[in-house]
Amino acid sequence: MAERVPISDVLEEALVRCRNLDAPLADRLQAFANEVRRIGPHFGSVVDALVSRLVESNAGATAPKVGEPMPTFLLPNEEGRLICLDDLLSEGPIAIAFNRGQWCPYCRINIDALARAEKEITAEHRHVAAIVPDRQKFAMWLKSDAKAPFPVLTDMDNGYAMSLGLAIAVGDEMKHMMVTSGWDPSVSQGTDNWMLPIPATFIVGTDGIVHARFVDPDYRVRMAIEDLLAALRTAT
Amino acid sequence: MEMHQIRYFLAVSETLNLTKAAARCNVAQPSLTRAIKALESELGGELLRRERALSHLTELGQRMLPMLRQSYETALAAKAVAASIRQGKAAPLSIAFSQTVALMPFTPALRELSRAFPGLQLKLSRGSASEVVEYLKSGTAELAIAGPLSETWSRLDAFSLFEEPFDLVVGRTHRLAGRNRVDFKDLASETLLLNTGCEMVEELKASLDANGTLATHQVATQDDLLVLLKENLGVAILPIGRTEMNGLCRIALTQLNLTRKVSVYTVAGRPRAIPCATLLSMLRAADWGDTGTERRGRAH
Repeated sequence: MAERVPISDVLEEALVRCRNLDAPLADRLQAFANEVRRIGPHFGSVVDALVSRLVESNAGATAPKVGEPMPTFLLPNEEGRLICLDDLLSEGPIAIAFNRGQWCPYCRINIDALARAEKEITAEHRHVAAIVPDRQKFAMWLKSDAKAPFPVLTDMDNGYAMSLGLAIAVGDEMKHMMVTSGWDPSVSQGTDNWMLPIPATFIVGTDGIVHARFVDPDYRVRMAIEDLLAALRTAT
Repeated sequence: MEMHQIRYFLAVSETLNLTKAAARCNVAQPSLTRAIKALESELGGELLRRERALSHLTELGQRMLPMLRQSYETALAAKAVAASIRQGKAAPLSIAFSQTVALMPFTPALRELSRAFPGLQLKLSRGSASEVVEYLKSGTAELAIAGPLSETWSRLDAFSLFEEPFDLVVGRTHRLAGRNRVDFKDLASETLLLNTGCEMVEELKASLDANGTLATHQVATQDDLLVLLKENLGVAILPIGRTEMNGLCRIALTQLNLTRKVSVYTVAGRPRAIPCATLLSMLRAADWGDTGTERRGRAH
C-alpha cells in the first residue's frame, strides 16, 4: 500500500493561504474549513458529530458569564515566566483567548488574526493573552508562527480550562481521525490525555469581571476580531 | 466537562458503589447519577455498568479514568491558586533530589516560583534512589526529581523531563584530561569511582562488566565522589549532561552507550499543595531542549 501523506501536510499550503487572506477572521476560518471538507469529507462529518454531541451536552455552558468574576490563574508563558491574571489586569482590560494548540490550523489562523489586531488593541491600553495546553516549546512556536507580541501561556493538562468547565474529551473516533490526519496534540501537550479546551475568548475588565465572552464548542468558529475590539474598547 | 462530574466519577471508580460514592461526595444519589450521565453523554459512551452495589467501569470508563484523574488533579490546583497567591502567606514546598541530579537546571523554575509565592519556603533533600522513594512515601517530600527509580510502587507518578548521557569524567590534572575520546582499553590501569547511591549503578556495573572489569572505589555520596575525582583518586562515569564541570573534564567513552532519563515524580492521589502543583506543571511544560518525546507513564 502506498504511504499516504497526512491531510495536515496536504493542507499546509491551503492553511497559509487562508491565514494570509485579507478578510475577516470568520471568512478565513471558513475558507480553511471548506478545504478540509473538500480533501476529507469524512473528517468534516466526524467533526460535526463531535460538535453536536458537545452542544447537546451543554459543554462550556458553565464557563464564567458576563458580570461574573474571571477566576485568576498562574501559568507559565512561552519562556517559563509565571504569569498571573491579576498582574495582567493591572495593565488594563484584557482578552483571554483559549486556543487548542500549535498543531491546530484554526488556532494558527486565530492567533494570527489577534496578532494583526495588536496595534489597535494596545493603542487603547488593552491587551491579549492566549492560553494553550501545549508545552513551552510549542507555545513559542505558535507565537513565532504568528509573530504574536502577546504571551502564549501553557495550561498543562487543560487544568485551568477544566476548572472553568471548558475542557472536553476528544473521543475515540475523533482521536483516530486526528492521528491519521497528522493533527496529534499529545506531542505538544506532553500527555496522552486527549483533552482539549473549547477555544473560548473572554474580555475581562481591570476589576476582574467578565465584560464579554465567546464560547462555542465548534472549534472552527472564533470570536470575531471586530467584536473583540468593541468589547475591549468598552471594558474598563 | 465539569469538575464535579469527574469528582463523582472518581468516587464511583473507587467505591464501585453508587450509594457509597454519593455519600462520600456529600450529594444525593440521583444528583450523582445525573452528573455521571451528563459526563457520559459528553464523552459519547457509558462509563459505568450500573448495579447498585456492584457497579463497575466499562472499558471506556477504565480508559478514561487515568486521563480524567490527571486533568482533575491539575484543575483542583488551578481552582485553589487564587486564594494561595493573594494571601502571600507561608508556602512550604519539599523537594527530594537524587544525589546525582544537578540542581542548576532547576533554579530558573525555583526562582519563578519564589517570585510568584513570596512566602515560599523550600526544603530540599538529597538521597539515593531508595531514599528518594522513601521521602515520597512518607510525605517528607511532595515531589522528587531523579533518574529512573527501580522501586515498584503503583502510586508513583513519573513525568519524564530529559535524557542525559553518561560520559567519562576525570580531574583536570588527570593524565587523560584534554582527550576528546577514550576507549575502555585506556582505562585498564584506572580505578573507577562508583557512587553506590546512583540510580543507575546496576546498569553502570553491567556496562562495565561487558567491557572488562575495572577496579573500583565505592562511595555513597556524589559529593565524596567529586572530591576524590578532583584529587585524581580515580575516574568516574557520570551522567554529567547538565552538571557544572568545575575542575573536571568530560571525555567521550567509546563503547559506552548509556543514558538516563531524569523525571519528576509525585504520589498519585495525594492532594498537591499549590506551590508543588505549580512547580510540577512548570517542569513538565519547560523546554528541556533535547527530546520531544516526554510522556507521562507510571513508574514501574
